[in-house]
Amino acid sequence: MSEITLHDLEKQYGETTAVEEVSVEIEDGELLCLLGPSGSGKSTTLRMIAGLETPTSGEISINGDDVTDDPAYERTTSTVFQDWALFPHKTVRENVEFGLKMRGVPADERAQRAESMLERVQMDGYGDDDPTNLSGGQKQRVALARSLAVNPDVLLLDEPLSNLDKRLREDMQIELREIHEDLDETFVHVTHDQDEAFTLADRIGIMDQGELIQVGDPDEVYENPKNQFIESFLGDTNFVNSRVTRATADAVYVDTDLGTELVLPTDAEPAVDEGTALTLSLRPEILSIDQPSADGGTAAADASEQLATDGSSRTAVTGTVENVVYRGSTVRYSADIDGTSMFAERTDASTGALSADDQIRLEWNGADVLAFREDGTRVSL
Amino acid sequence: MSETTSLPQIPTSLASLRESVAGQSSSTRALLLMAPLIAFELLVFVIPFLILLRISFAEPSSDLIYEPGTWSVEAYAGVIDNILAFELFWSIVSYSFLLGIVVTVVTVALALFYAYAIWRATGLIKTLLLFSVVLPLLTTLVIRTYAFSPLLSPTGTFNDLLLSVGLLSDPVQFVPSTVGAVIGQVYIVLPYAVLAIYSVLATMDWHVVEAARDLGASRPRSVVEVVVPQAMPGIIVAAVISFAWSVGAYAAPGLLSENITFALYVEELLLGDLRYPTAAALSVIMLVLMLVTISIMFAVLNRFGGDFDLA
Repeated sequence: MSEITLHDLEKQYGETTAVEEVSVEIEDGELLCLLGPSGSGKSTTLRMIAGLETPTSGEISINGDDVTDDPAYERTTSTVFQDWALFPHKTVRENVEFGLKMRGVPADERAQRAESMLERVQMDGYGDDDPTNLSGGQKQRVALARSLAVNPDVLLLDEPLSNLDKRLREDMQIELREIHEDLDETFVHVTHDQDEAFTLADRIGIMDQGELIQVGDPDEVYENPKNQFIESFLGDTNFVNSRVTRATADAVYVDTDLGTELVLPTDAEPAVDEGTALTLSLRPEILSIDQPSADGGTAAADASEQLATDGSSRTAVTGTVENVVYRGSTVRYSADIDGTSMFAERTDASTGALSADDQIRLEWNGADVLAFREDGTRVSL
Repeated sequence: MSETTSLPQIPTSLASLRESVAGQSSSTRALLLMAPLIAFELLVFVIPFLILLRISFAEPSSDLIYEPGTWSVEAYAGVIDNILAFELFWSIVSYSFLLGIVVTVVTVALALFYAYAIWRATGLIKTLLLFSVVLPLLTTLVIRTYAFSPLLSPTGTFNDLLLSVGLLSDPVQFVPSTVGAVIGQVYIVLPYAVLAIYSVLATMDWHVVEAARDLGASRPRSVVEVVVPQAMPGIIVAAVISFAWSVGAYAAPGLLSENITFALYVEELLLGDLRYPTAAALSVIMLVLMLVTISIMFAVLNRFGGDFDLA
């Protein structure tokens, strides 16, 4: 049982507020990723859970015990640091044994446990090595073994993978995931890499400017972001400026920079007035790419579609391909749509390849489009 | 200045000379770059030391400071006999070493605390702490040391303070005494020791200390387990500076104590008794004793961590 409750957690450095009113319940055995850009307060939050920073106000409890004022060495948490912070003057084994030594575990038991921890992270045989001679990936494993050796209630990971190269990072993500499933301990993992968060997390908490904006399952935060920041941070998207022309009970009609009117189907009448400026998000994965038939555009080219009875609305725009970027598994097309730049992706590059200056037709379902107000808040459609 | 600070330079300069000749024999450039240093060492250290060595093997003379052109081990025999018989030379040598050890222990302990404080401080406080280390070096050593006389004397400021707050009922004679000499000598070597340790701490990663605390080490324990072993190269340098300087201390014991140290006695032999061979022999013996002690110190301190390379 190791659930963590953060209540109104706040941290200020002089005039600067690093963390503001963070409240969250982290469930027992869960892997929560705190995701955010640098300076968003995610590491500070983690350090407060570890006891390495004292909150200015608010409460932290682990398993129902208030640990807000407990120093790091009295907490049942263990941290894996971004730079791994291995003790350079101790051997790999002495590093892994350190926590047990501090707990007064006898030497032979310590050595045994250290060996089994090194085995678990596939570093057996390195016990007598000097940690400064190890590669980044190996240091990372030793740091993980050192933290796991004390059998912590909560494992805190402060961007431990960010100093590794891409391939190694992805391998370690899978390994971390496996270790988490084996141990069934609570993990809090801080990262600025959304792919890493999606790979690892049971739940993702997204932070921006010291605030925890949204906590939820990976698919939930991706598909149902609370504001425009999350929408832009979680993946590449096309933001299109628009203005509401008409709002009815089942759809919002907007005028866009794409030179066409769009229909956004709604379930309930949304709280938007005529004239309200909205930013629309069209993710590349909702856009299907086509080549308009050469014999003069199709009828759908610039028309706003009628609202279908099932609540979907197909909309299409045409434009000119500006450039084609080959990205390995995908090909990204940037297109000029009536003066606005948009991009879309295709996984299959061979069929109907488009090149610069070709005509391109992008089509989507209006129900997949997300809309945000000027202050960034989401309009529920 | 009669301080014998240059004593530990012998192995260093010889080792680096040998290394540069042997290890980089293909590169004459390294040797050329070292040429000014080698010339300097030869001129101000090696040649004077050879002269000293020569005098120590000369016969004493009744009307000259020594008998030129003669060879004798009489001076060594005299000094060694006297030491082994626990007579005057023994008390001088042992007092010098005692002073050196006490000053070294006190200095290194203080310097470690001070350097740690500078390391952890930020902004203006860090600047002030660093500045206050360097500040005493801007005043000449003799004035700095003399200043302790009015401060520590039975009617001095320090006694007045202790009497007025009731910590003492009678004034204590800090000067002239060994306590005064220790205080004065610690004050002389402390800045160098602080800078030696701080220079190593400054390169240390604070996360390592946090990691230790995170794994259950209390604050004092994390310092002992993580800070001290990593600071060991700085601590060794601080200890060698403190020890070598203090065993050969001249100004502080001369001004603040009535006990005679080796440096003070050599001065008396040279300028008072005009017994040059004896003074030279005593100096050579002290040099050997100190090199042995410093080697042992290296060996012992290295066991506590750090990867300090002797060469």
